[in-house]
Amino acid sequence: MRKSTLFFYSLAAEIILLGMLLVHASLSASQPKWEETANLVKTLGLTDLCLFTEARYTRHLSQADLNTPFQDHPLSLEHFPSGSFTLPPEGITKDHERLD
Amino acid sequence: MRGWIEKQRYILDFTLSSLLRRKVKNFGLLVLYALIVFILASMMFFTYSIKKEASLLLKDSPEIIVQKLMAGRHELFPLRHIETIKNIRGVAAVEPRLWGYYFDTHAGANYTLLVPPAGGKIGKPASKTAVVETDPHDRAAEHAGQPLFRFNDVALEPGTLIVGQGMARARHTDMGDFMPFRAFDGNILSFRIAAILSSESELVSSDLILLTEGDFRKLFGIDNDYVTDVAVSVNNPREIATVTAKISRLLPDSRPIIRDEILRTYDSIFNWRGGMMIVIFSAAVLAFVIFAWDKASGLSAGERREIGILKAVGWETSDVIQMKFWEGAAISLTAFFSGVILAYIHVFFTGSLIFEPALKGWSNLYPHFELTPFVSLEQLTTLFFLTVIPYTVATIVPIWRAATIDPDTAMRHSGE
Amino acid sequence: MIELVNVRKIFNAGNPSEFSALNSVSLNIGENKITVLTGPSGSGKTTLLSIIGCMSRPSAGRVKLSGREITSLPERFLTDIRRKTFGFIFQQPNLIKGISVLENVMLPAYPLGEKRSHLKEKAMKGLDALNISGKAMAKVEWLSGGEAQRAAIVRALINDPSIIIADEPTAHLDTKLSYRFMEIVEKFKTEGKTVIITSHDPLVYQSAVVDRVIGLRDGKIEGKPS
Repeated sequence: MRKSTLFFYSLAAEIILLGMLLVHASLSASQPKWEETANLVKTLGLTDLCLFTEARYTRHLSQADLNTPFQDHPLSLEHFPSGSFTLPPEGITKDHERLD
Repeated sequence: MRGWIEKQRYILDFTLSSLLRRKVKNFGLLVLYALIVFILASMMFFTYSIKKEASLLLKDSPEIIVQKLMAGRHELFPLRHIETIKNIRGVAAVEPRLWGYYFDTHAGANYTLLVPPAGGKIGKPASKTAVVETDPHDRAAEHAGQPLFRFNDVALEPGTLIVGQGMARARHTDMGDFMPFRAFDGNILSFRIAAILSSESELVSSDLILLTEGDFRKLFGIDNDYVTDVAVSVNNPREIATVTAKISRLLPDSRPIIRDEILRTYDSIFNWRGGMMIVIFSAAVLAFVIFAWDKASGLSAGERREIGILKAVGWETSDVIQMKFWEGAAISLTAFFSGVILAYIHVFFTGSLIFEPALKGWSNLYPHFELTPFVSLEQLTTLFFLTVIPYTVATIVPIWRAATIDPDTAMRHSGE
Repeated sequence: MIELVNVRKIFNAGNPSEFSALNSVSLNIGENKITVLTGPSGSGKTTLLSIIGCMSRPSAGRVKLSGREITSLPERFLTDIRRKTFGFIFQQPNLIKGISVLENVMLPAYPLGEKRSHLKEKAMKGLDALNISGKAMAKVEWLSGGEAQRAAIVRALINDPSIIIADEPTAHLDTKLSYRFMEIVEKFKTEGKTVIITSHDPLVYQSAVVDRVIGLRDGKIEGKPS
């Protein structure tokens, strides 16, 4: 077989495979599997995803305040890996009351 | 048209032949390239799915959470403040919340202990679908008086727990087992596990331990006048900002967190500025720059000679450029598709096996969640344009210099 | 067929290293003739050959091919003329390593986009005619010197050119192979092709099949020995 034919076949195979994966993605995304979970969130009043359990400012990301990472010791900078790829919560420096 | 296609195929044939000539080098290049695409695509799939899932799951989280701060730390929230908040116009309800952490020295894991609202119900009755394991022996009568929290058919009675899958895994426990806790005063309190939350909900519930209010207060020695924080709901969602401002005015030591902030926190959770992310990202970009540079920095003597021969036998400069285009395209397309396919398998079928050590960090309790494969076509396209196009261009660029190679180079060249 | 009028070629013009390879060469090369350009090295043979073969342009003067002025044509047309009209045989076989003999032979035809089955057939026929069809699938590294040159000749003929240009074709061949080469050249002539050879090998320019020998020295044509 010609090399170019072989190349186009393998490229086509990869594109088809990727296409199948994308179909897989849209099929699984359309399953209402998180209905139950969303209900759990609502009933229990949960605020965060349980992605990291090692530190409380990454377990409840949105509930963390500016001081949390330093609460154990002022020199305790970042020793939890999860803290190094998450960001501080949104609106943390925002004041809900105008101070003027 | 036929002639044009045939010509491109000939050129591609030749390109592939010459790539195969330097098998080790080009195969290594392809693997490295695919690896970079793989890492970037895995990161992309993972973060996008987490964000998407967070936005879907947390859309019903409390509208406003009010914490009390003291000297820069969370403090217990005094119940008497609840009346103050209730009196604000527009507030529909104020729900006290009791929750906290417990470090289990035995398993080395952190749990989140939470008191579910009395009378609340989650899950489906076990008779319908058996999604969740329940203890068939535990359909005891409810305590008279206050309604109990129910999970499927199981009522949360004093002395019992409903736990998340991750917690059960960390302790190797099952329903009916007893779980000892060391209370604030040193006493050992033992609770029976009445039910285990479903594995589908593990992304939010993995480390949860649900227990009754009485047990929670007994365990942590929290006075009846205090709760952890309160969840405030409002009549009109548009008044959230106003209500929040009023809360901070009336209770200056409080910190309100609104739902929108929670959602936005998760929307930007894995930002490229995050420490680990920027390390991975810059390493990938640097590696890419290095080999793009290697490509662009010129043609070897052998390549120049070869181009001389091609031109001498009648190839135009444009044919040579097309050859180089196919070289770049063949490598980058193969690398792109292989990398993306592997990344998809990695993130959605193997549970991000490679990222796991970093994500786990020091925790002994790591949620086993299956991410729903959300794929952003926009991101895929961006990745395509950030990898395939620059590489192909980097391959073609040095060939402009080849255009200056005269076809009679082949004649002038004497011996090699 | 090919007419050169006052052709000059200056290298490194304007630099101290400026040097004039050809000085006002005027020449007429007849169709279906075997012409040999001879002269010591540095006399401008190869330069003249590359100008005739549309590989480089003269600094001054005009080149006409079958009465058509080609000096001022843009590169694209020049390449087109080159690949349809000329077949080149170099001093070195100049085959591309790592690919098969067959692929090497078909290389000049690739940009023309001919149907592959035709092209392959043509290439095999050409290899057959020079008795190297058995090596078609072999890599060029495995060929002997004579085989490599024959493969290069087949490559030169793949687009069926009317003019064959050979630059010192016998320089790396032994006597036997050189005679063999001249036989092939004679065959070209019987097929109606025009052949232009540069050589300072007596075996070539004294050969009976040669129609005309042109001596070059210092970029100029010497007297005209027949």
